[in-house]
Amino acid sequence: MWAFLKKDILVLLRDRTELAVLLLMPFILIVILGFSLRGLMAGNTEALNMQVALVQNDDEQAGITEFTEQLETLELQEQTVAGMAAAAEQASPFRTLQMMLASPELAEMISVEEMGAAAARDALEEEEVVAILTIPENFTRLALDKMLLGTGPGTELALTIEDTTSTRADVFETLISDFARALNFETAASRVAAEEGISLEGQGAMELGGLETTSSGEPVDSFQYYTLGIAVMFVLFVSANVAGNTNVERNRHVFDRIMLSNRHPFMYLGGKAISAAMIAFTQLFILFFLSTLVLQAFEWDSLNFWLGMALVSAMLSLCAGALAAFLTTLTVRLNSDAITTVFSGGIVTIFAFLGGSFIPLTGMPDIIQELGNWTPNGASLTAFLQWVQQRDLAAVTDPLVRIGGTAAVLFALSLALFPVKGAN
Amino acid sequence: MLETEGLTKSFKGKKAVEGVSLYLDKGESVGLLGPNGAGKSTTISMISTLARPTSGDVRLNGKSVVKDPSAMRSVLGVVPQEIALYEELTAHENLQFFGQIYGLSGKPLETAIQHVLKLVGLEDRQKETVKTYSGGMKRRVNIAAAMMHKPDVIIMDEPTVGIDPQSRSYILEMVRRLNKEEGLTVLYTSHYMEEVERLCDRVYIMDHGSIIASGTKDELKRILSGEETVWIELDRAYPELFAELKMNEHIIQAAETEKGIKLIIPKGKRMLAEIFQLAERHQAQILNVNVQTPSLEDVFLHLTGRKLRD
Repeated sequence: MWAFLKKDILVLLRDRTELAVLLLMPFILIVILGFSLRGLMAGNTEALNMQVALVQNDDEQAGITEFTEQLETLELQEQTVAGMAAAAEQASPFRTLQMMLASPELAEMISVEEMGAAAARDALEEEEVVAILTIPENFTRLALDKMLLGTGPGTELALTIEDTTSTRADVFETLISDFARALNFETAASRVAAEEGISLEGQGAMELGGLETTSSGEPVDSFQYYTLGIAVMFVLFVSANVAGNTNVERNRHVFDRIMLSNRHPFMYLGGKAISAAMIAFTQLFILFFLSTLVLQAFEWDSLNFWLGMALVSAMLSLCAGALAAFLTTLTVRLNSDAITTVFSGGIVTIFAFLGGSFIPLTGMPDIIQELGNWTPNGASLTAFLQWVQQRDLAAVTDPLVRIGGTAAVLFALSLALFPVKGAN
Repeated sequence: MLETEGLTKSFKGKKAVEGVSLYLDKGESVGLLGPNGAGKSTTISMISTLARPTSGDVRLNGKSVVKDPSAMRSVLGVVPQEIALYEELTAHENLQFFGQIYGLSGKPLETAIQHVLKLVGLEDRQKETVKTYSGGMKRRVNIAAAMMHKPDVIIMDEPTVGIDPQSRSYILEMVRRLNKEEGLTVLYTSHYMEEVERLCDRVYIMDHGSIIASGTKDELKRILSGEETVWIELDRAYPELFAELKMNEHIIQAAETEKGIKLIIPKGKRMLAEIFQLAERHQAQILNVNVQTPSLEDVFLHLTGRKLRD
């Protein structure tokens, strides 16, 4: 078995084109995708950093005072008046907006600067700010009337954007829209509750905007995601490469020589599987090392973290070995290189898409996510992401079982189908 | 030692080899001669247990190896027509791999590697990758790889195809030494008549999947004992002259060659005067005339009506 392993590794090491495909290309893809899509990943908001101008035409405190004074002119119970006055003080719409923008998640990317209308206009034209948020006159007073008393025309925030194609402006517009929608919903809910005599106290404050995260663990940045996504995809190419050599061996009649040596054909098959597994593990190790060294994708100092990564890598490599054995079996059985060509030219791409190597599957239809989880690369990516986010072995058990199961099935099929006679 | 009986191989209903029976005695060097497509390689595949015969049997020391090929494989070395090597590896690495799969390791493995490298004269270049070798050197490593496990029988399928005359001569001499000095039994296939004449004690001639003649070189040449070959070298081609010679009732066979015309005529038949007269009539300029006793090439031409390289 060692002879087959050594031979396969030496052949690969001497083939610079193949080495470049298996090592250089994935790293280049990691760098390109990591940089270009880092703004879209949770955990990495630097690309969305933005300056926003705030034009304040409202006197918030005066608005609250006017609203409170107005309450005393209405025929309301003293207790109700006191409650509404307190609510106006605490839930002033502008204050709520300020709190939202000052939240740790948003403060990281949005920097709000209060300006005069003319200065804000200039800043927008000079592209120093991506948007102008204008608080109109009597905003507080009119908003409180509508929110707490259900009277008056209400009010609107004004958002001015110069470049409507800007992702950052789009993000800010979405945030403000979400804020307004949530405020309106809260207002409606409060009014209905008041009419129905239901108390909303203790229900907690309604969340206004905020960042959506895909899991309960640490967010994954784009370099981490694509290091893992691209690495698990390129492991599939290792299987195709090792199996593809079978056809070269057949064409060169080296395969016949091996069969004539009286070695059991399973030795040859086993050699392919072990070679692919070892090459895949080495490939994963090199890609993780490079990403950590050059892109600081992962931390160096946690032995526990790397042991977990090694465990998932080992399972994926095992599966890559079984896949190589299966492709080898089909190549020998059908006496054709079409199997590996179709696999590396088409099936890997489909698996990569389904498995989430190119784009995260969050938001995709359930059926795609489910299918992706049954691909070796998809299950491995899930396992890697779970480990990076949660560092909990229990969280990766399910995908690891799937990878192991796939490996066992592929290897069993290979053993069952490989032509043991070696003669045709 | 090794014999086949009625070997037949069909592919999709078409017979590539039909009823081939041959034998090799221990220490013999036997040639399997035939043009491309005659069925030599398919026959070799069946003898070497790489292809299962559609019918017929292959026996080693009287025991069939069709159902259990292991006995044959352990004593057999096969040199395929293709360069069956890893071109990315060095000669040493290739031989090491093929030695290891035959169960060799450690010092015996290294000894065997150096022995076969010496045999093929490549000790000095053993650390270079095969892809940097010339065609002749690759062929020599191809032979060395088949010798790693010290086989008793070696089957060589056109081992000198596409190489320079110097390498070819080296390989032929090497095969001769393996047979004569080391007692290796050799089955040598070729479509180069002179190689078989030089190396082999006995010859089987194949055409269209069947053996059409066999025997020692002298036995085969005796097929044409009543004939002789006349080579007529001309300054250019004379189709009318050739046509007239071909129609001549006394001429057994006529073939155009690069330099003129080759005739097989009954031995003792004095035809030269008649040939000269015909040439004169067609105003053909004869540069040279050579009368030869028959070669294996002539035998093949006689038996099949075509040249070996057709």
